[in-house]
Amino acid sequence: MSYSCTSRGNSQDTSSAKKTAGDNPGTGTGGADSSGSNDSPKKTTAMRVKKGCNSTEAGVPMTSEEDLLSSALVTPEDVLGLQKITENYLCSPDDNIYNIDFTRFKIRDMETGTVLFEITKPPSTDKTGDKRDIDPNAGRFVRYQFTPAFLRLRQVGATVEFMVGEMPIDNFRMIERHYFREKLLKSFDFEFGFCMPNSKNTCEHIYEFPPLSEDIVREMILHPYETQSDSFYFVDNKLVMHNKADYSYNGRT
Amino acid sequence: MSEHMQLSLALCRIGLYTCFRALCCKGPPPPRPEYDVVCVGLTGAGKTSLLSHLCSEGSDHIVPTTGFSIKAVPFPNAILNVKELGGADNIKKYWSRYYQGSQGVVFVLDSASSDEDLEAARNELHSALQHPQLCTLPFLILANHQDKPAARTPNQIKKYFELEPLARGKRWILEGSSTDNMEAVKESFGQFISLLEDKDTEPARI
Repeated sequence: MSYSCTSRGNSQDTSSAKKTAGDNPGTGTGGADSSGSNDSPKKTTAMRVKKGCNSTEAGVPMTSEEDLLSSALVTPEDVLGLQKITENYLCSPDDNIYNIDFTRFKIRDMETGTVLFEITKPPSTDKTGDKRDIDPNAGRFVRYQFTPAFLRLRQVGATVEFMVGEMPIDNFRMIERHYFREKLLKSFDFEFGFCMPNSKNTCEHIYEFPPLSEDIVREMILHPYETQSDSFYFVDNKLVMHNKADYSYNGRT
Repeated sequence: MSEHMQLSLALCRIGLYTCFRALCCKGPPPPRPEYDVVCVGLTGAGKTSLLSHLCSEGSDHIVPTTGFSIKAVPFPNAILNVKELGGADNIKKYWSRYYQGSQGVVFVLDSASSDEDLEAARNELHSALQHPQLCTLPFLILANHQDKPAARTPNQIKKYFELEPLARGKRWILEGSSTDNMEAVKESFGQFISLLEDKDTEPARI
């Protein structure tokens, strides 16, 4: 037995782990405990992780996808109120005016240091042309296939690498929410803060698996792709990117 | 092939660990404390290489860092969330944008660099030591590239950088380092972690 992680850009693609894919890799999953709190009264641009598990903990009202689809502006507080995976993307690929491009994603087991999964994107391809016409959302969805052993991990380090265009970004923030069916498993809120123009940045979070009952683990293994995640990216509190992923845990070696 | 072995070993470990837990009815060990530190130094000092080696990652693919790199570096008794910043001139000017929230500073310098570069490194270190957001934090100063023939010794660096007068009253450690001897580097970090754990001010030591 061993870990088997594959990434698929769409249902027809059967690429295996380590192979370069043409699509945007999945977003990093992870959160590190921020051991010091920030005393500064003004809005911080320091990099911090806030862990929240549901909307009442985050102190925001519940929101629904329908509300957000009809509003012109989606804020972090809006997505923190979502109770389940969205059916639709809450922004279009064109909203990414800062040209943020995810170029690499890697997961490693923090206890052994073993790299479990890694995928890189080749240097940016021509964005206009046939590829776009086929499926405009192909670049923002990834399907992960793991073995059951993956759910036994306690701590994984998830690394995301991304590039930023010519405009510096003052306040870049990621909120990622993982669900199994309609149950929120974990929500991550990470503030990257400032991103330099024309930079390539990497960030690794430590992802602690939420405590999962044996029943839920069994269900997650039995029902592939019913574990799903939404990753929302904000610049100055405005949604600029929305990536999605789904997961299976019944892989075999 | 070795990747296969690594995966198998990892799985065995996890299998054994799970059995151990089940048999001994023990909960998981308490999580290690985490500290946020910022890592700066001129380009070519060896920041990325040292951190990659600490994470048991190969150094074949290392290129100059053109932004920030946040890494969770595990140690036996702590995890350091290191925010490493590129040292090129066009990136250095943004360093202070990343200081807020740091609990410690790792400063890396090339002990074998030219006099001019060494002076530039000294100026950067002095700025960092005096920066309002860093001046009360513990510093780990690594005089890197000790393996090179032209490397100044840690003592020479300490004198040249005037650390004793300048950093008086602050908590700092200066050690030589080289990616050829990662055990020594890990020990230096171990000492640094003690400073991070320690709430009281300690006298400076080399």
